[in-house]
Amino acid sequence: MNYLLHLGIYFFIYAIVAMSLNLVVGYCGLMTLAHAAYFAIGAYTYALLTLNLHWGFLPACAFAVALAVILSLAVSLPAWRFRGDLFLLISLAMQALVFNLLCNWTSHDAPLGSWFNLTNGPFGIPGVPKPRFFAWRAESPHEFFLVALGLASSCSFIVWRLVSAPWGRLLKCLRDDELATRAIGKNTRRAKCEAFAIACGLSAVAGALYASYVGYIDPSSASLDESILMLSMVIVGGVGNFKGPLVGAAVLIALPEILRFAHFSDSVAANIRLLIYGLILVLIAHLRPRGLAGEYRPK
Amino acid sequence: MQQILLNGLISGLAIALLGFAFTLASLPTRVFHLALAGIYTGGPFIVWWMWRTSWAPFWGIALALASGITLSILCEALNHWWLERKGAPDVLHLLSSLGILIMLVQTVAVMGGNETHVLRDGIDRVYHFGSSQLTRGQLITGGVSAGLLAVFATWLRFSRLGLRLRALADNPVQLALFGKNVRSLRLVAFAFSGLLASVAGILTAYDIGFDAHGGLHALLLGVVAVIVGGRYTWFGPVLAGVLLGLIRAFVVWQFSARWQDTATFAVLVACLFVSPQGLLGRRTRLEAAS
Repeated sequence: MNYLLHLGIYFFIYAIVAMSLNLVVGYCGLMTLAHAAYFAIGAYTYALLTLNLHWGFLPACAFAVALAVILSLAVSLPAWRFRGDLFLLISLAMQALVFNLLCNWTSHDAPLGSWFNLTNGPFGIPGVPKPRFFAWRAESPHEFFLVALGLASSCSFIVWRLVSAPWGRLLKCLRDDELATRAIGKNTRRAKCEAFAIACGLSAVAGALYASYVGYIDPSSASLDESILMLSMVIVGGVGNFKGPLVGAAVLIALPEILRFAHFSDSVAANIRLLIYGLILVLIAHLRPRGLAGEYRPK
Repeated sequence: MQQILLNGLISGLAIALLGFAFTLASLPTRVFHLALAGIYTGGPFIVWWMWRTSWAPFWGIALALASGITLSILCEALNHWWLERKGAPDVLHLLSSLGILIMLVQTVAVMGGNETHVLRDGIDRVYHFGSSQLTRGQLITGGVSAGLLAVFATWLRFSRLGLRLRALADNPVQLALFGKNVRSLRLVAFAFSGLLASVAGILTAYDIGFDAHGGLHALLLGVVAVIVGGRYTWFGPVLAGVLLGLIRAFVVWQFSARWQDTATFAVLVACLFVSPQGLLGRRTRLEAAS
């Protein structure tokens, strides 16, 4: 039972990530590889605030979201000018810079969490506390499952309301023809900034949830592999609608677990699972270019 | 200072070789050949495996190069060509290439393990040049990279096939209308790209070692060289690769090796904002370039 709860919690975390990334990839039409960086910013901010300043879950999460929203300008401002693979490379640079910062913002002499040793480098930050709401703390898997379910539902509701509103149609419009959207008097630059701010903020929420669940955070959460996994969830599920990213997150979370039952040798099981995952990406590209549940074919 | 310049020049030539390999496939076909990172990783593994099973290094290198060429051709023939025929967008080429990269890397990891290997026994021989010293691995890397880049530059400039490849990069539709076989030219581009990536992988593996997962990082350096040098130029990546190598060497000298990647990507961002067409690229409107 605990195993299923564990899978459910992972699904909720990555569902938030995939839905938020879909706002940028599916609705703005901009491919980004920087999303894991914002996930990690949320996770690290939560870890530092709860460990050092003993903040509760909600204030720490709110601060993480605010920081991610401000830092989202690092990718949304270039989006005013760049599209396509140039924007993808800008986002890759942002991911690499955050990853390097997390790896290198450390000093052996300074205590963990101080200005000179903020991230503890590759060793990461252990002992991140479970979510605390006033006097109640989500300690058991059941309790954490409820917290994750509540957060994922709230985030889904926010995203659903946004994409159903005229704002969602504005994003689709700028995705399909930015020049025409500007010609009818819409402020596309502002819409892009808003989409990135919301997406990065939601990703930070997922990062905080992840750090509090695992109890440990290290720079690998901001790695390129993680960004690729997030992007794959959106593309495999299908972009440009509400259900696609949820399907993608469910498939890519479930896939490695299903392959566990294939009884590969322990030493190579992870590699073979990834190998099959690579094969599925190739097959998706050839057989289901719109993703499993998507309505928009990425350009 | 002389030592820093030499180190930077040699690592820059290795980056330039991989950047040029990427350009050879991507410029004529407009495919983001991410699977090249898997080919870069696979070559050294084949040499290492044959060396461990008592084959002479020559046979290992020959098999690695042949495998690199074959794999790259298969990427085009079985994947990108079919996507191209369906009119698939760039992102699907990228996604499928990513899938192939994951498959190649995991195959190498299953067969050779996840740990780091080196294609030599013991410490490498050191040669002294005035106040500087270079290892044999560095000398081979610098010499072979520079030689291959010179050979391919000459071939592209003066051979008939090189001319056709340049024409394919310039306007594939017009080339097809002239009756040239675009498909075979694309295969040639991928074949040479795979060859150069394998050579770059083997050289780096001899100099500093290799592991199954290091290919993507190396390829990204090559891609940064391509962007900084100019995406639509043949030799911009070579110039930018050497510059990047020098910058990375200076960062090691002045700060620390751990800031090398930060400096590299900072250069990329600066270049995209100041001069998105790259060092040798022609200035165009961004809408036309993207």
